[in-house]
Amino acid sequence: MSFSPTGALAKVDSLFASYRGPERLYDESVTSSGALRPAWSAFGALLEKLGPDELQGRSENARRIVREHGITYNVYSDPEGADRPWELDLIPLLIPPQEWRTIERGLIQRATLLNLILKDLYGPQELLRSGALPPVLVFGNPAFLRPAHGVRVAKNIYLHLHATDVARSPSGEWWVLADRTQSPSGTGYALENRIVSARILPEEYKLSQVQRLAPFFAAQRDMLRALAPKASEGADNPHIVLLTPGPLNETYFEHAYLARYLGFTLVEGGDLTVRDQCVYLKTLQGLQKVDVILRRVDDTYCDPLELREDSFLGVAGLVQAARSGNVTIANALGSTLMESPAFLAFLPSICQRLLGEELFIPSVATWWCGQAAEQRYVLEHLENMVVKSAFSPVARLPFLGRDGVACEKLAAEIRARPFAFVGQEQVGFSTAPTWVGGKLEPRGVAIRFYSAASGDGYSVMPGGLTRISAKSGDPVVSMQSGGGSKDLWVLSDRPVLPITLLTSSGQPATHARISTELPSRVADSLYWLGRYSERLESTLRLLRCVLGRISDESSAEAPAELGALAGILVLTERLPKKFEGRVPARELEAELLQLVYNPARVGGVRELVLRLRQIASTVRDRLSLDTWRILTQLQLDSKTRPGRLPLANALNVCNTLILDLAAFSGMEMENMTRAHGWRFLDFGRRLERAYNLADLLRASLFVDEQSALTSILEFADSTMTYRRRYFAEFNLGSVLEVLIADRTNPRSFSFQLDRLQDHVLGFPEVDGANPSQTIDQQVAALSNKLLSIQLKHPSERARELLKDVLSETTSDLSTLSDQITKLYFCHTVSVRVGARL
Amino acid sequence: MIYQLTHTTTYDYVEPVSLSHHVLRLRPRELPFQNCLAHAFAIEPSPKRFAAHTDCYGNRASFVEVEEPHTKLVIRSSGKVRRKAITRPHALETPAWEQIRDLSRGIQLGAALEASEFLFDSPLISTADEFGDYALLSFSKGRPILDAVSHLTQRIHEDFRFDSEATAVTTSVNTVMKTRRGVCQDFAHLQIACLRSLGLPARYVSGYIETLAAPGKEKLVGSDASHAWISVYCHAHGWIDVDPTNNLLVSTQHVTLGWGRDYSDVSPVRGVILGSGDHTVKVAVELQPIPDDGTPPVAAIIE
Repeated sequence: MSFSPTGALAKVDSLFASYRGPERLYDESVTSSGALRPAWSAFGALLEKLGPDELQGRSENARRIVREHGITYNVYSDPEGADRPWELDLIPLLIPPQEWRTIERGLIQRATLLNLILKDLYGPQELLRSGALPPVLVFGNPAFLRPAHGVRVAKNIYLHLHATDVARSPSGEWWVLADRTQSPSGTGYALENRIVSARILPEEYKLSQVQRLAPFFAAQRDMLRALAPKASEGADNPHIVLLTPGPLNETYFEHAYLARYLGFTLVEGGDLTVRDQCVYLKTLQGLQKVDVILRRVDDTYCDPLELREDSFLGVAGLVQAARSGNVTIANALGSTLMESPAFLAFLPSICQRLLGEELFIPSVATWWCGQAAEQRYVLEHLENMVVKSAFSPVARLPFLGRDGVACEKLAAEIRARPFAFVGQEQVGFSTAPTWVGGKLEPRGVAIRFYSAASGDGYSVMPGGLTRISAKSGDPVVSMQSGGGSKDLWVLSDRPVLPITLLTSSGQPATHARISTELPSRVADSLYWLGRYSERLESTLRLLRCVLGRISDESSAEAPAELGALAGILVLTERLPKKFEGRVPARELEAELLQLVYNPARVGGVRELVLRLRQIASTVRDRLSLDTWRILTQLQLDSKTRPGRLPLANALNVCNTLILDLAAFSGMEMENMTRAHGWRFLDFGRRLERAYNLADLLRASLFVDEQSALTSILEFADSTMTYRRRYFAEFNLGSVLEVLIADRTNPRSFSFQLDRLQDHVLGFPEVDGANPSQTIDQQVAALSNKLLSIQLKHPSERARELLKDVLSETTSDLSTLSDQITKLYFCHTVSVRVGARL
Repeated sequence: MIYQLTHTTTYDYVEPVSLSHHVLRLRPRELPFQNCLAHAFAIEPSPKRFAAHTDCYGNRASFVEVEEPHTKLVIRSSGKVRRKAITRPHALETPAWEQIRDLSRGIQLGAALEASEFLFDSPLISTADEFGDYALLSFSKGRPILDAVSHLTQRIHEDFRFDSEATAVTTSVNTVMKTRRGVCQDFAHLQIACLRSLGLPARYVSGYIETLAAPGKEKLVGSDASHAWISVYCHAHGWIDVDPTNNLLVSTQHVTLGWGRDYSDVSPVRGVILGSGDHTVKVAVELQPIPDDGTPPVAAIIE
């Protein structure tokens, strides 16, 4: 390729030629004169070679992968914000090997130091006794967890995972902004970012010699295994669970993702119980001992007995289990203490005292107002200070540009309780090139680095979560407030060997204990996942029948067939009573469209989709990536607007969603291991299908049945079966045979009952007894009742009998559902009891 | 003075409870003026696990786990406690309250470090101007601390009405301030809020008080109750206990179980059960003075 002699072409096409960082800030990629920094020169050239069009294409590709992987982030303040797609910028941030070694050393020192402080404050408290720390930082700190005081932890490790938020100052120095010590989030997102970025920039990734992330996770996992209580039965193969608050948490995606990646069981507080001071997981097969809990539940919520009484996220007796050394909790209960910004002001001296070293990476200048001189300084510079609670890392709003009134108010608060505040210097974050609207633009960056306890010290993830500001020059860098993220490439000066914890199928490659046990709550969710997917499908099929007939009609009055269908919809409680008998087609149409389009309509398509999705998200770690992709697609497809042809569009939506559901059940049929989880899912589906069919058949006996027969066959997808067998006209007897008695028809009632019986026989024992026999007999009785009726040429009496039996059948099926729930899913809620003085 | 003590807590559940966990803080604490001569628990149904530990305030806490299904749980704590008279400084000889306040600020060493644990907001008590303002009427400039505290105690006794219907375990101290009603726990919280709002360390004490029979009548069995009062830090004079419910300096009528920042740190019985939760709970306390036979303070303590 030849450049034009004037260089004009190169200039027009060059990505970095027009790129400049903002004045007075440090840019990661270019110097103030616009020249690429050494670490960026090779990579910059590779980007230039790709050119803007290609990069734009890859950026779109990245978005698509993010969506398909279902990488999401819940935004608390936004009601529609649940499951917002993760934002990942195409251009990674680079850190050269030399600089990385300095950072790594600083992070290891910091994690070591914070762990030592925790060990002291939850033990002898020498730092307080000697006056190295003012007592208010501990005793006045809501994060100091009294019940954790004196609780010994395995190998004196309190901080198993430490995250450090770091930014680069205008002079090019790194500053620590905050420490995350509770249960730091983001390692899973960092890993996902890496998977996506390595896929969209494969050549560049290879040529840049980027350090791999997998060894960090392997080290973290090995350490957790090594920290299992020694007395455990399976000490060489400990049982590790990841404790999540549940699907509403902002980083639930990550909990499910990490659990799967690390091979831990994802559990909620209700899945665990404390017996004889040990922690157990409630599974279908009974209680199974838990050795290590990787917690993502805030420490105060972990135990309603000794910590917050109002918590439903924890396990009663967990503190006692930890106290008696029967379980290792990572991070240790009480570790949140080190997130208090007030500690930043004391770290340099404590570091000297405990480690005999300078702090390698300084913290951002922090003044704790509990000291007179510091308080004065903060009050004098209030307009330009970031003011935070001394005990919580979340900054006070507004961050900047406070007016006189706001300043006065804040100053009064500080004067009233000075020890509860810190002032921090406002740091101008460095910028990094970010792909915005087809070109590179500078965006502020802050990095979250991770250190995990490993061996005798800490190992640092060679990478991290880089978060970018939403606008150039925006000082706020937060996923909650709408910024995006970047992958962080730590470069190596040697070639890097590929290592991964996952096999190509995305499953963990480790042969360490992979959890096979099924928590009762998960079985419950899978059962309802089966029921709701079937409920949605039958609703869609029914709607499709009716909508199809309406759109064929031009008359104002609904004909007999439509009237019969409307009657069925009323009898199965999908339409209000007023649609019984003959109704204007237009009014019926409006009502049906509500069922398709209105998300608030109970029992409507969108409400069912939402419920299905909610249930699915509680078992996300059990669903394959493809299954999740189908469910995401299902939700997208359901969100359509009526447009100018609402009826035609509604039919379309029904068709599309029926196909999506077919894909979903296909995944279930072909890809799910035939273990208990699958059994409960399919049991739910069969039970729901039997129920809906019985309900529909009963309803059709009340309406002009001859008109309804075609639709019912169509609903049950059995028209072809019928025609092949009978050729003749539709008659009730033959239709009943196909839909009730035909064991080979996968839509028939008998077929569902056969499947239910199969499943029941495979259900696990409960408390050493197998309840399957009694349930099995009940299912058999159901089947006999229906088959004893003369279906072929039903007399008037037989019809009446059939109505009764069908109605009994639906109520028997409900009872069966209750029984299964009681037997297998019963999670009694913990309740606090107490006496009053 | 020796007391024979029994404290029985009885839960009756509507539905069977399959698992229950309790933490008990029911063992009288060893103190210079109080010896626990004997103590034992009787729990029915018998617990699968009983384990004791010392909490961060030095109270003895017992973890109890009952695993068999039950519709009734009885926790009986019984013991023998010798209570000696406390020698207290004359109120007017104690230091000015501002001195205690200033000594409790900033970096603390020794006993004052322990006191600073009780200086700040706690789960059930937040300091606020309204408490400080209320207290200031008693805390005139330079007034000796015990004199001021006694005055405050008397005012609380006069301004607030004992009313067991007015509040619940979760009633906030702000509500108590507004409604001016409550029980011993509420008055203790209120006085602590007042003292801490002035910058004075104060702690919550859980225990019992002996109730005396009305003149000419026999004392009723079970008329005694769990009780709560407060303790205020007086530097060289240590901690001094006062009882705002009865407007008393704590004396030989009181038996101390333990202390913490507020009720949530030292509730005598705290539990979580697995079950529907519908239940009734009955508490009966008896504190019977018996002759002092000189039993040495080393008798077996069964836990």
